[in-house]
Amino acid sequence: MNSGLIPEGVKRCPTWKFALGVAIAGAVLLWGVYAMLLCWFKGLNQTNMNNAYGFALWIWADLAVIALGGGAFFTGFLRYIVGKDELKHIINYAVLIGFICYSSALLILAIDVGQPLRSWFIFWHANVHSMLTEVAFCLSCYFGVLTIEYLPLVLENRKIDQVPFFHHLGHNMHHIMAVFAATGAFLSFFHQGSLGGVSGVLFARPFGFREGVLIWPWTFFLFTWSAAACGPCFTISITKLTEKVTGKKLVKDNVVELLAKISGWMLTGYIIAKIADTIYWAAVTAPSKGFRMMDFYSHNSFYGLWILILEVGICGVLPAAILITDRGRRNQKTLVTAVVLASLGVCLNRWVMVLQMLAVPVLPFENWVLYIPSWQEVATTVLPVAYGVILIMVSYRYLPVFPQEPELNPVKS
Amino acid sequence: MAFGIGGAVGTALSPLPWKLTDDLSIWTQNWPWTPVPPHGEVTQVDSVCTLCPGGCGISVRKVEDRVVKIEGMPGHPVNDGGICLLGASGAQLLYGPSRIEGPLKRVGRRGDGRWQPVSWKAAVAEVAGKLGVLRSGGEPHTLGCLLRSDRGTVPGLFSRLLTVFGSPNLMRMPSIQDTYELTLYQMQGALALPGFDVDNTDFLLSFGSGYIQGWGSPVHMFRAHSRWRNRGGRVVQVEPRLSISAAKADDWLAIKPGTEAALAMGLSHVIITESLYDRDFIENRCRGFESWVDAEGRIQPGFKQRVLNTYTPAKVSEITGIAAADVVRLARDFAKAARPLAICGRGRGRVPGDLGAFMAVHALNALCGSIQRAGGVWAVPEPDYINWFQPEMDKVAATGMQQSRLDGAGGPQYPLARYLTSYLAEIINAGKGYPLKALLVAGDNPAYTLPAGGNVRKALDSIPFIVSFSSFMDETTRMADLVLPNHIYLERLEDVPLAQGFSRPLVQLCKPVTAPQFNTRHSGDVVIDIARALGGSVATAFPWKSYADCLKETLGGNFQKLMRQVYMVGRGTGAPGHNAAFETASGKFEFTNPEFKIRPDYEPIEAEGDAASFPLVLVPYDSMRLASGFVADSPFMVKAVDDTVLKGRDILVEINPQTARKYGLADGAIALLRTPRGKARVKIYHFEGLMPGLVAMPTGLGHSAYDEYIGGKGVNFNRLIGPVQDPVSGLDAAWGIRAKLTRV
Amino acid sequence: MEAVNRRNRAKKYGMVIDLDKCTGCGSCTVACMAENNIPFRKDESDKLLSIAWLHVYKLTNGKPFPHTDVCYLPRPCMHCEGHHGHSPCVSVCPATATDYDEETGIVSQIYTRCFGCRYCMAACPYHVRLFNWWDPVWPDGMEKMLNPDVSVRMRGVVEKCSFCYHRHQRAMEKAYLEGRRELEEHEYQTACTQACPAGAITFGDLNNPKHAVYRLKKSPRAFRLLERLGTRPKVYYLSSREWVRQAGDNHLQQEKQKI
Ligand SMILES: Nc1nc2c(c(=O)[nH]1)N[C@H]1C(S)=C(S)[C@@H](COP(=O)(O)OP(=O)(O)OC[C@H]3O[C@@H](n4cnc5c(=O)[nH]c(N)nc54)[C@H](O)[C@@H]3O)O[C@H]1N2
Ligand SMILES: Nc1nc2c(c(=O)[nH]1)N[C@H]1C(S)=C(S)[C@@H](COP(=O)(O)OP(=O)(O)OC[C@H]3O[C@@H](n4cnc5c(=O)[nH]c(N)nc54)[C@H](O)[C@@H]3O)O[C@H]1N2
Ligand code: SF4
Ligand code: SF4
Ligand code: SF4
Ligand code: SF4
Ligand code: SF4
Ligand SMILES: [Mo]
Repeated sequence: MNSGLIPEGVKRCPTWKFALGVAIAGAVLLWGVYAMLLCWFKGLNQTNMNNAYGFALWIWADLAVIALGGGAFFTGFLRYIVGKDELKHIINYAVLIGFICYSSALLILAIDVGQPLRSWFIFWHANVHSMLTEVAFCLSCYFGVLTIEYLPLVLENRKIDQVPFFHHLGHNMHHIMAVFAATGAFLSFFHQGSLGGVSGVLFARPFGFREGVLIWPWTFFLFTWSAAACGPCFTISITKLTEKVTGKKLVKDNVVELLAKISGWMLTGYIIAKIADTIYWAAVTAPSKGFRMMDFYSHNSFYGLWILILEVGICGVLPAAILITDRGRRNQKTLVTAVVLASLGVCLNRWVMVLQMLAVPVLPFENWVLYIPSWQEVATTVLPVAYGVILIMVSYRYLPVFPQEPELNPVKS
Repeated sequence: MAFGIGGAVGTALSPLPWKLTDDLSIWTQNWPWTPVPPHGEVTQVDSVCTLCPGGCGISVRKVEDRVVKIEGMPGHPVNDGGICLLGASGAQLLYGPSRIEGPLKRVGRRGDGRWQPVSWKAAVAEVAGKLGVLRSGGEPHTLGCLLRSDRGTVPGLFSRLLTVFGSPNLMRMPSIQDTYELTLYQMQGALALPGFDVDNTDFLLSFGSGYIQGWGSPVHMFRAHSRWRNRGGRVVQVEPRLSISAAKADDWLAIKPGTEAALAMGLSHVIITESLYDRDFIENRCRGFESWVDAEGRIQPGFKQRVLNTYTPAKVSEITGIAAADVVRLARDFAKAARPLAICGRGRGRVPGDLGAFMAVHALNALCGSIQRAGGVWAVPEPDYINWFQPEMDKVAATGMQQSRLDGAGGPQYPLARYLTSYLAEIINAGKGYPLKALLVAGDNPAYTLPAGGNVRKALDSIPFIVSFSSFMDETTRMADLVLPNHIYLERLEDVPLAQGFSRPLVQLCKPVTAPQFNTRHSGDVVIDIARALGGSVATAFPWKSYADCLKETLGGNFQKLMRQVYMVGRGTGAPGHNAAFETASGKFEFTNPEFKIRPDYEPIEAEGDAASFPLVLVPYDSMRLASGFVADSPFMVKAVDDTVLKGRDILVEINPQTARKYGLADGAIALLRTPRGKARVKIYHFEGLMPGLVAMPTGLGHSAYDEYIGGKGVNFNRLIGPVQDPVSGLDAAWGIRAKLTRV
Repeated sequence: MEAVNRRNRAKKYGMVIDLDKCTGCGSCTVACMAENNIPFRKDESDKLLSIAWLHVYKLTNGKPFPHTDVCYLPRPCMHCEGHHGHSPCVSVCPATATDYDEETGIVSQIYTRCFGCRYCMAACPYHVRLFNWWDPVWPDGMEKMLNPDVSVRMRGVVEKCSFCYHRHQRAMEKAYLEGRRELEEHEYQTACTQACPAGAITFGDLNNPKHAVYRLKKSPRAFRLLERLGTRPKVYYLSSREWVRQAGDNHLQQEKQKI
């Protein structure tokens, strides 16, 4: 029965091997589910969050996966709006990764809030002034869009495709996909931005606060920009990882290089803006509130200046420099290094904007508060990873995720 | 398949999911395990707080019969609406899990905590039976009774019971009252309580008294402190540690611990040499200032002579570690103030202290004329409303009362002392005197509050029959054989005869604001019951039908008045101005009472232990956030304690960072604290405000009894220190104990 | 016309806390707990998990013995005015579960609407907002002391000092019944103000010249916490000690040397 489900013209590993892989990931998933149930039934006392650290590992994970999932909207934008047609060979995977990232974000949010059964109040009693309201609306809508974008791929499964209704549905959806891509790009622009706004608007948290235009702090734009730049890098990273695991080439180099090149230039622009932002913040914004930049870095063992250097230099300037050169992109080693560093960089940025912001004391008579997540927090954060692995395994096995696969890996019969 | 999908879509589009979502969220707002306090008629009842000797008026907010909130009583002369955090958490004591729900009889071994509920009738019969044996055996004096206070009708009933029973062994818990009473007796001839007119003073000189840490009447002192802030009164705190009292003072003089009396004498030196003293008072109302010739014709040095000979600023500086210039400046400022007042008794005043030092401080007040005067020290007469008929004592009782007291108070060695309760345990353990065969404990928790806690428990263990009247399962009660739980103050009627340190006589009435929660019984009634059951002359001494009857009869016409207005303030001793006649033989203020020859002076009291094995000195400190007396803390209070005092189960001890470095003790490290009396696991807290070489430990933690909200946290300071006897008065004068800290 | 009158009547309830008088005793904290049904647990020594609407901070001047100095600073909610009522916490709450009341200046908290996202906690620089990490549980019989004027909060929501808003409601009800629309200063006082044995807390309408806070807030000893962040707190502090006033805000090195 298995073979009937597997796309035509490709070869897949034996069922037992697949089942073993799913079982291993499934075990991790179950561990996460157990922790999730603990959090739901016993409450958030299961975490190591506290009244100083109301936002912690989970909010970071949310921001990070959404940034990494940015590959979906930006690749979609390039493919459907800008018209970079080659990208159709990687768009499926970008959408799948995006879908995983966004569904994970929603799941984590559902664990993170103290009263999950009331979380719909965010829509019902929406406060238009709150960045989180904007995030909630755009995030949910965009998740809908991703589902719609992912659905045609599911419908291409051989078995499902045999049902005439689904066949036609899938066919017609392909035609209007540009509309959804445009909607998605717009929504993404906003919610990536509002996630940046989350810390940027906190005018009483000088570490996170940024000036800006109208209601949007600079972090609004920086977040969108960094997600657009680093999201595709993450798509490439996962593609390369998938190729490594499957032992097959799945996407042609010209496709990857095109995406990498665009990312490289986006990253270059972003990192210049980020450096400018940092300098302005350190020289103008923070001092106006009575802080020297080093007040944010020097007083503890963890949040030293190294974290800024790592984020902006090693995970920003360096990958940008690699990706904008032909040589850097062509060499598999430097390419992979660059996309991985860029992905790390955006995660680190989100970490700093969430956790370091809360660690920095604002009242002069308070101290730095450091935090280590509990195993329940770690497990629930690993849960989506396991879920993502399983979804990728299943999708890769049964759906035509990589259109170039049959061509690159002809099956000898 | 289509059916399935159709069904799903249909359900999704129906109102059902929305209804369910809404219901679920409403459910989260009405979780059945979240209590809903019922509404009802709201009333406000005035009464008195008896949780400490402060004597605050309280106003209790009730909803139906539930006590919901305790607030200070506005307009009350002691606290005028303010309340301390212990008083504010009274409802937690009323409803708390450590309340004893009815009379209990011990089953199993002592301290095992296994109890059998008994009826009140059986309990009283048991006491009467056990005590009756002592009387019939001709050893009524082997009955002891430990009370928190010896004033008021309930202590009066206990005292009467002991007298007609035939035992001199009524004991009161130690405090600076012991020393202040002796001071007033020596120097003014008065059997009186010390009163401090803090409302009117403009310069408070505190020799280590925690004037805003629970010394005197806590809330009254707070209000006085605020008044000084409004009106520019000055405060100087003399203490080796930057306590809250020191931090709030205008000046803090860090003194070597235990040398306060030398400073007092030094200040007198400057005041005398610079002729800054109150000439009228000294020349017309004092004796013993100048040297005199005694009956045997020998020249006796007067106060002036001794001060001038010995306590030069330079010498005092050497003893106390305070710069000579500071001594001179402080003396001038103090003497030149319009209404200066010097107070003593360290911290909250639980340790009596040495008599010479108290007299030195009192002499300083006398030099400035601050005796029986606005803003000064007053001898507040003992309450005089208890005038019961003289009971008849049978032969057994008369013989028993002729025995000397077990604690040695009033005996040949310490004729002045009324109580030496701090030594009871040592005497019992050493097998001196006669063995105690039964002990009644009411109103206090000696197993926790007396020094040398280990000794106390051992001593209690040797007493065959212990009866506790406590409302709470405290440390002492856990060692009892029979528990006869009293109502707590919110449930009972009782006179409150004083407000500690208040400068005018004050009688108050504590009344039941709510019905008793449990099967408890008023200790006054229980004493009457026991006396009745003992029969004979013991019973006839207690003719009252009930305690309430006794109280009504005792207070006479004032009873109804007190029921209405809670408190009555007496007029005090005479009009303002120090024109009240002193009750000494000379009718004057005595710098050295010739009858006793006890003088104001500095006699070093050494901390117990040898410096070689114990290089540091451990001192206690009191904090308003912890109760260290008979009542343990409330859960709210423990919650309000800083994490620089208690962290998890660990107590934090303060140590100067400089000293800490010397012994390699990092901030937050766990260490073993040893004293000659015991050892304890502590956590290190670096505090710049403590004199190097000292270790400071908060009092009021380390309860081994009670519930998990207040027990099992930190260390009881009393376990680590022992009494150190003042050779003059016999009172406990320990201010610290040598100690050693080692990393673990 | 009506609108103008209404605005004129707007109150700005606030507090002035005299740190020269405050003794750090914690009565205010406990009175608040008793008034507002704040739960307690067996171990409350982890202050980052503990709920106390009014925390008393211990400030030190950092100098060595014997020049050390200590000052206690009780900290309720500042009921920040922010810009046009956009106090740091109110503007960020996605579910409008916390609100700036233009008529009283009180920042409210609706526990039953809060869904526990804790964004407001991240926004508040004073660490005023506290999360119910646990279900509130009272030992058997102890729930008798709960105050019916204040609802007990459930696990998973944020709470904070309300300026004892229920006391305002009670006072207003009484005033309305007596045909009045205005409260006398003494009619609405918070539990902490009432309890403070030192009389260190003064509460009232900062806009009303007849209220004591109106005069006190203008004292040369007055300062507010973190004024330069633009939160516009309605809690003022008084201290005659320069180092204490300094400790109320962040200052750059060159600014510090000026003083
Ligand atoms: N999800 C959910 N929603 C609820 C509830 C619930 O249980 N769950 N409870 C409902 C209930 S019972 C209530 S009462 C409401 C309360 O909710 P709201 O009434 O929306 O808000 P509150 O913060 O409770 O207080 C009322 C508002 O009016 C202000 N205010 C206070 N006093 C006065 C006054 O005298 N005059 C004027 N004009 N304004 C004043 C307060 O500062 C506050 O902004 O919430 C309702 N909403
Ligand atoms: N600090 C502070 N105090 C306040 C307010 C405030 O904003 N802040 N708001 C005030 C206001 S407006 C109000 S209305 C009150 C609300 O105070 P409460 O009258 O206590 O009501 P809720 O806050 O809605 O709390 C809901 C509680 O009601 C109980 N409940 C719900 N339904 C039922 C039922 O059918 N039967 C029974 N027996 N119990 C039920 C649930 O157990 C739940 O715990 O609080 C007042 N007190
Ligand atoms: S100071 Fe003493 S009497 Fe006054 S409220 Fe506190 S415990 Fe009660
Ligand atoms: S009750 Fe008053 S004196 Fe005590 S800490 Fe609070 S404000 Fe300070
Ligand atoms: S102090 Fe904090 S909680 Fe209170 S109003 Fe200001 S920001 Fe909000
Ligand atoms: S935790 Fe509650 S009050 Fe705070 S922002 Fe979220 S929903 Fe609003
Ligand atoms: S104003 Fe009321 S709610 Fe706020 S801290 Fe004071 S007592 Fe607590
Ligand atoms: Mo309500």
